[in-house]
Amino acid sequence: MDATAAAAEQQKISYERNCEQKYNYDVVRWFAVMAVVYLVVGALVGVWIASQLAWPVFNFDSPYLSFGRLRPVHTNAVIFAFGGSVLMAAAFYSVQRTCGVRLWSDKLAWFTFWGWNLIIVLAVITLPLGMTQGKEYAELEWPIDILIAVVWLSYFFNFMMTLANRKTSHIYVSNWFFLGMMVMITYLHVVNSLAIPVSLFKSYSIFSGVQDAMIQWWWGHNAVGFYLTAGFLGIMYYFVPKQACRPIYSYRLSVIHFWALMFGYVWLGAHHLQYTALPDWTGSLGAAISLAMIIPSWGGAVNGMMTLSGAWDKLRDDYILRFLIMSLAFYAMATFEGPVMSLKTVNALSHYTDWTVGHVHSGALGWVAMVGMGAIYHMIEKTFHIRMASQALMNAHFWAATIGAVIYIVAMWVSGIMQGLMWRAYDEYGTLAYTFAESVEAMHPFYVMRVVGGAIFLFGAVLMLINVALTVRKAMREGTLQQARTAVACA
Amino acid sequence: MDYFRTDWGAMTGHDWVGTILTVVIFFLMLGLYIIVLRPKNRDKFEQQKYIPLDDEEQKDSGEKNG
Repeated sequence: MDATAAAAEQQKISYERNCEQKYNYDVVRWFAVMAVVYLVVGALVGVWIASQLAWPVFNFDSPYLSFGRLRPVHTNAVIFAFGGSVLMAAAFYSVQRTCGVRLWSDKLAWFTFWGWNLIIVLAVITLPLGMTQGKEYAELEWPIDILIAVVWLSYFFNFMMTLANRKTSHIYVSNWFFLGMMVMITYLHVVNSLAIPVSLFKSYSIFSGVQDAMIQWWWGHNAVGFYLTAGFLGIMYYFVPKQACRPIYSYRLSVIHFWALMFGYVWLGAHHLQYTALPDWTGSLGAAISLAMIIPSWGGAVNGMMTLSGAWDKLRDDYILRFLIMSLAFYAMATFEGPVMSLKTVNALSHYTDWTVGHVHSGALGWVAMVGMGAIYHMIEKTFHIRMASQALMNAHFWAATIGAVIYIVAMWVSGIMQGLMWRAYDEYGTLAYTFAESVEAMHPFYVMRVVGGAIFLFGAVLMLINVALTVRKAMREGTLQQARTAVACA
Repeated sequence: MDYFRTDWGAMTGHDWVGTILTVVIFFLMLGLYIIVLRPKNRDKFEQQKYIPLDDEEQKDSGEKNG
């Protein structure tokens, strides 16, 4: 390294340390570290319940550990505990850096952190006890729903006030995506959770029949659309350019991506209810808009990938960037597969089968988890003022996550399509060719394959946890965090 | 064609509010696309893409909403 480069590097380190005094990194650090813990817990429960489907003995004859009760523990852990912690860390981190101001309120940020973690603890207690509203991705009972609304609004308000205090003239596009998520999730959560309580831990939805189903999937698909897509696109639009040290390929495309997503996504929920009591036109409309959504989704994916145009060599040794770019490949794949599955002809085969589970996991493991993990690695390095302890562990994690996700998805594709074909096969007399039990038996090898894929993904998550723990210890031992904090005292 | 037939007389107040809002928002979105994709606005939008990279510098100046 020549003298100029060394001076530039030194200036960068010095700036990053000054950020410690300027911004609230404490809450970002805690959210980022807890996200990794929840990733391991969520993936572990996922592997466990996948094992229950392959080998029912893992139910241990206990109602508290049965698939029906642990499955919402898994989904809540990965979506709200891991996903929520990543979103809160990333939004709090990037809004400060892109606006040039500290969070509006440190106290409110800590309220968000402890409140969110309390919700997660309550979920882990109540769901195995069988306390549930029975609504997918919204199982938690009414007192916890109210707590979610309060904590979510604290996150929303702090973010919005930080934007209002900004020192820049323009609000960067990642903040638009975060803001869109916050507005829509507030609206969706409140409406979907409207219920009449009959006791402290039992309530009934105010909606019934097909309206209840429509509201459920209006929420369900928009939890995917706004929480797991818009929120994580906010992450993508900040962390991909930042990690690549290159601006996003096209800012204009990002603006179009944002508004098309906001306008289009709310229409899609009805495609979950094809061939039900829902009016036929509603499902057709949902499918038509789903197809149209391929355009902005692919536009966004291409925008992220083309950011590396002319600098693809960076992927050779930047493992964090690999996570971020691989996530975009999965995002493109999942956002093509979803609209195809929403078409009535395809849906007739795919609905209620494992194909849906495979599709969800190509989005969850490939897109959400990958982009989230890339962002966490980036934030750990920036906020602990040190490089990750082991680049080799990070590389091993990347390959474990990629290979694990692919094995999982392929297993569910094969199993799901086979299921669909077996269920609708007729013999020459017009009777069903297979019993349901025969289709279950045929799926067994693929259920085992899913456990293997999930276990490999879990192994990668454990490597990440170890690496993060080693990095935090290294930062403490070498005093990088302390030096940055001392700069606070000197400032 | 019967599939696309609409019984306008059966439209409720809620139906009309929803329809009008949807059509208005759709046209607003089209207008936004025209503004964003207009060649003369290109530089104005594209200069914003450097914001995450510029955060290495101190932001103590700059007018809000300017």
